[in-house]
Amino acid sequence: MIELRNVSKLFGQTRAVDAISLSVQTGELCVLIGTSGCGKSTTLRMINRLIAHSAGSIRIDGRDIEQIDPQQLRRGIGYAIQNTGLFPHWTVARNIAVVPRLLGWPAARIRRRVEELLHLLDLAPAEFAAKYPSQLSGGQAQRVGVARALAGDPDILLMDEPFGALDPITRESLQNELLRIQAQLRKTIVFVTHDMDEALKLANRIVVMDKGRIVQQDSPQALLAKPANAFVENLLGGQERGLKQAGLLRVATLMQVLTTAAAPLAGPRIKATDNLRQALSLMLWHRCSSLPVVDEQGRQVGVLRLDALLDRPR
Amino acid sequence: MSRRALLRSDAWQPLLWLALLLTAALGLGELDGLFRLLEPDSRTVIYGRAAFIDLLGSHLLLVALAACVSSLVGVGAAIMVTRRWGEDFLPLVSQVASIGQTIPPVAVLALAVPALGFGNGPTLFALILYGLLPILRNSLAGLRSIDPAVLEAARGMGMAPLQVLCQVELPLALNVILAGIRTSLTINIATAAIGSTIGASTLGDPVISGLVTGNTAFILQGAILIGLLAVAVDSLFEQLQRRAPGTGQAK
Repeated sequence: MIELRNVSKLFGQTRAVDAISLSVQTGELCVLIGTSGCGKSTTLRMINRLIAHSAGSIRIDGRDIEQIDPQQLRRGIGYAIQNTGLFPHWTVARNIAVVPRLLGWPAARIRRRVEELLHLLDLAPAEFAAKYPSQLSGGQAQRVGVARALAGDPDILLMDEPFGALDPITRESLQNELLRIQAQLRKTIVFVTHDMDEALKLANRIVVMDKGRIVQQDSPQALLAKPANAFVENLLGGQERGLKQAGLLRVATLMQVLTTAAAPLAGPRIKATDNLRQALSLMLWHRCSSLPVVDEQGRQVGVLRLDALLDRPR
Repeated sequence: MSRRALLRSDAWQPLLWLALLLTAALGLGELDGLFRLLEPDSRTVIYGRAAFIDLLGSHLLLVALAACVSSLVGVGAAIMVTRRWGEDFLPLVSQVASIGQTIPPVAVLALAVPALGFGNGPTLFALILYGLLPILRNSLAGLRSIDPAVLEAARGMGMAPLQVLCQVELPLALNVILAGIRTSLTINIATAAIGSTIGASTLGDPVISGLVTGNTAFILQGAILIGLLAVAVDSLFEQLQRRAPGTGQAK
């Protein structure tokens, strides 16, 4: 658990971060979002002491971070950044091994760990272990960056716009990857972004920051339902809020469950695990007001009607 | 490395030049007949006041000593001003590094004489001073060209400052630093020869002596050795630079 209490950061006379209090529960994926210069990155980097806070206290699992040697602290916290920061003179395997080596793990254990992480991030060890960062695509490099952050098996992961420089398709696949890994590993993650769609997709909790202060912190659903002020509303995309909200709900929550076995289907259909935004888009495209819902094996399990979307309670 | 890879990698080149240099230093004295063609009227056609191999030795010693000192000082100063506690000196040092390059080596030698007298001392001093600048400039450029994200990651992973320097910064800057030392050495092999004018014992001796007495053979003997030395050292550094940590692209 990470606890920030009345934490401030002054750069000269400017208050980059102004008396914020925030606690991130163990296993939670907390997203800090705001426009550039709102203090979100500064906040993140105060947690691993890359930036020293000017006032207040930061505790990790009850221990004040100022009582912990900064190098020891950082070795226990995974760190992934936007431009990957991979070491260009080292191979992928050596890059991933940085923290385990700093922690003094035996060579055999490091080798096993590197292989395990390459598998976890869907990079074939035989193909990638010996490559240099300059030989990787942006998406692959960022996968290695995430693997490196996870290498020392830290409880906490700090991610500073890790997918910000990637194209939309690669970004989406890495977001899915992160969700999959998080479901498996249950790390405590603090994730900085300026992309609301990314925040809504990944977060258990979204912390909206503006001018060094926390404007609102809530679950994605609650944030969409009740934005605290015009700034948050604007960040949520104004008119697109309806679609963003639909994007958070699974088709399974609103479909009419089929009781009798159905005949094999032709034509448009949607998976029960897809979200309502995708369902709405399909309906618009095919100009229909109901869609058969299928499971992973392609068997029909229900029907989704447009009425159900419109009638659902607020 | 297999024999074929060895040939292809050009790793044999410095050895070839070194062999040529040694052969020349030991054998030039025997080519009386050849140099006689050049200077039929002179009493002697082989420079005789000192053995070429001894001159080569003292020339090399001067240059190597100077290179060691200026590398230590140059790289050290560059490291210092790129640390957070030394960054106040960065503008000063980079200015000195670029202004220094505009002063010709002869001027540095001339200025050293009134301060240090004649002989090896002032030559060494001038070589250190003049050789320092390319090393300093390149070390600064190499250290400052490192992607800030890489340094941030290194610190964020929990590397101590010394680990960041030795495992990340120096390896990444090594190629550029080596290029600086290479330039410095090449310049100083030539500058050391000029040191003969102020009494240092170098391969410049036959050249100066030849210029004074109008003996082209002497000049040629000195020039051949200086040239071979410069090429041998240069090709050695070319090989060293190729072995510096790469980024996988060049390999």
